[in-house]
Amino acid sequence: MLEGRYVRNQETLTDQDQNKLLASSVAIVGCGGLGGYIAEELARIGVRRLVLIDGDRLEVSNLNRQIMATEESIGLWKVEAARDRLQKVNSEVKVDIIKEWFEEERGTDFFNEVDLVFDALDSLATRVVLERVCHQLKLPLVFASIAGWYGQIGVSLPGDFSVLRLYGHGERGVESKWGNPAFTPAVLASLSVAEGVKLLIGSIPALRRAWLQVDLLTMEFERFELPSIEP
Amino acid sequence: MRVTVKLFATFRDGRFKVEERELPQGSNVLNILEPLNIKPDEVAICLVNGRDVNAQHFLNDGDTIALFPPVGGG
Repeated sequence: MLEGRYVRNQETLTDQDQNKLLASSVAIVGCGGLGGYIAEELARIGVRRLVLIDGDRLEVSNLNRQIMATEESIGLWKVEAARDRLQKVNSEVKVDIIKEWFEEERGTDFFNEVDLVFDALDSLATRVVLERVCHQLKLPLVFASIAGWYGQIGVSLPGDFSVLRLYGHGERGVESKWGNPAFTPAVLASLSVAEGVKLLIGSIPALRRAWLQVDLLTMEFERFELPSIEP
Repeated sequence: MRVTVKLFATFRDGRFKVEERELPQGSNVLNILEPLNIKPDEVAICLVNGRDVNAQHFLNDGDTIALFPPVGGG
């Protein structure tokens, strides 16, 4: 282990917290704008294992926002480009890659020995499926989504239906029209990792049964509640 | 009756952030959406006084309606 690697995590994270992170295994579903930054931050803060899931290859239009995309990596699988970069950042993290789209029946395989899942998908329908799978497998989920200047982020624990309630309607989000600039995924990914770290070290996340509505145009961050409902 | 309508994210584009509306008794969320030219299937979630409701939900004097478009990108 590289001496001093995690020295600047200290005080924010106790030694016990850091050790919990260094024992943890995290899956990131979607390795685009959000997923790339989430993976980067988790590798830097120090987890044991990352499972990256994405069935897509890098293209030129990804360069505006996806940290794993470089001019040299165009055409590579997103998860491969991510693994290459993450190994340069922190070779002590085991990076497992899955060059497939997330599917319900693959959940058990994909999330084998995983402690936490990040939803960094770009499909509303698949987000709902992912929450269902996480609940079945008793896995905590941090979800985030972006479109233009805007984003949403929250935590869904087994028995919550935050993702279903937020993303259960409609086929496609407004990002199809408004696109995704560089800053929005970086902000929402960081907020996701902050919540995810709390879950991994056993602290209480701030955004359970709620979501944070992020507006980078007006710089307003507003929290909304999704109180539990009778199923 | 008087209600407060709050719009979020791209719904604010060409519209407003927050406005008060005067509505006849018996109005529902659909009656808010129509003059705003927002179709019900463009709304990802609608909160009335902080609770998520569907478009047929009946409104009461003093209600606050918050409307959010689907934000789904990654």
